[in-house]
Amino acid sequence: MVQAEPVALPVSAEAIVHELDELDVTDVVNVPDTHQRSLLAALARQSRIRLLTACTEDEAIAINAGLWMGGRRPVLSIQHVGLLAAMNNVKALCMDARIPTCMLVGYFGRDVTRSARDNASRAVRLIEPTLDTWGVAYFPLEGPEDLAAIGRAYRHSVEHSGAAVVLVGAPTS
Amino acid sequence: MRRVEAIAALIAERGDALTVTTEQAIGAWRAAVTEPANDIPDHLDIVGCMGSASTIALGLALARPERRVIIVDGDGSLLMQLGSLVTIAGAAPPNLFHFVLENGVYETSGSQPLPAEGRFDLTGMARAAGYAHTAEFDDARTFASALPELLQRHGPVFVSVRTEPEDGYLVRSSAGTKLDQQMHALRKRLVGEGG
Repeated sequence: MVQAEPVALPVSAEAIVHELDELDVTDVVNVPDTHQRSLLAALARQSRIRLLTACTEDEAIAINAGLWMGGRRPVLSIQHVGLLAAMNNVKALCMDARIPTCMLVGYFGRDVTRSARDNASRAVRLIEPTLDTWGVAYFPLEGPEDLAAIGRAYRHSVEHSGAAVVLVGAPTS
Repeated sequence: MRRVEAIAALIAERGDALTVTTEQAIGAWRAAVTEPANDIPDHLDIVGCMGSASTIALGLALARPERRVIIVDGDGSLLMQLGSLVTIAGAAPPNLFHFVLENGVYETSGSQPLPAEGRFDLTGMARAAGYAHTAEFDDARTFASALPELLQRHGPVFVSVRTEPEDGYLVRSSAGTKLDQQMHALRKRLVGEGG
């Protein structure tokens, strides 16, 4: 039987940390995501970027707002179902209050041999349409060649004063 | 005690602290100061994201460790994001002072009782979550006299303030809150024009 080729490839955690360093990110606020566990481990091994853990994605978005008002440059690391759970705070803080909010969102449970929109997992395939409905910009990170998506998303969140999502397509390595 | 008494004591001892109010505290704070709503210096009124005021305050406290941050929460609001007690305790900001006005009802929506009202213990939960110090008050004079010492403590500090329900107050008094204006103005004050 022929194995299907992956369409989303792992991106190294160290490369993502390097990107965050290049953007002068000061804090990563996370609700632990299985998909990004190597990234969280890499962040825990260094001290330039503060790693904060929240109990819910609502909290993470709120902490991000406070950090931004205080002059920090935070980024979030969360799971895609957590993003769905926190849509009211996306509305209130990222859209209504216009707080720059850059989120690395992992597609936990995604079949990486299929595009996100073609996945059997309902939550995976509904993320992009949900973000389209809400008018939230997203930037797929489908492999190492997409690393610049992180910078594009971060700058978009700042320049447009709102949310921008990096969709982490495969588990980070 | 009455909510306005608790707020008056906090304003009197605020000093240069950044302050955050939500739900029932918004109107009482506005009524006690001379500045117009949405233009109170170093102050935020949090609406539209019930339960998030304390973690917005946490972000501020972590970003500005040189400033005290006072959050005036509601009991129903805190229950919306109860895990925030653990998140705050985990981050352990020494400059965060978390006051919860406990009136036992969801006043905004018509003063329906909180689930298990009279049986749960928010102060005990905060202590168990790992706050550095907890206290509770139901008398205005005792609260006002204890406040200076409380605000000198190493945080995070959690203080339950038992207040009387005042039906319908919030609905009138939080109208017109412009969260975007307040948040962007606060950032400008803290970071500067180019921030």
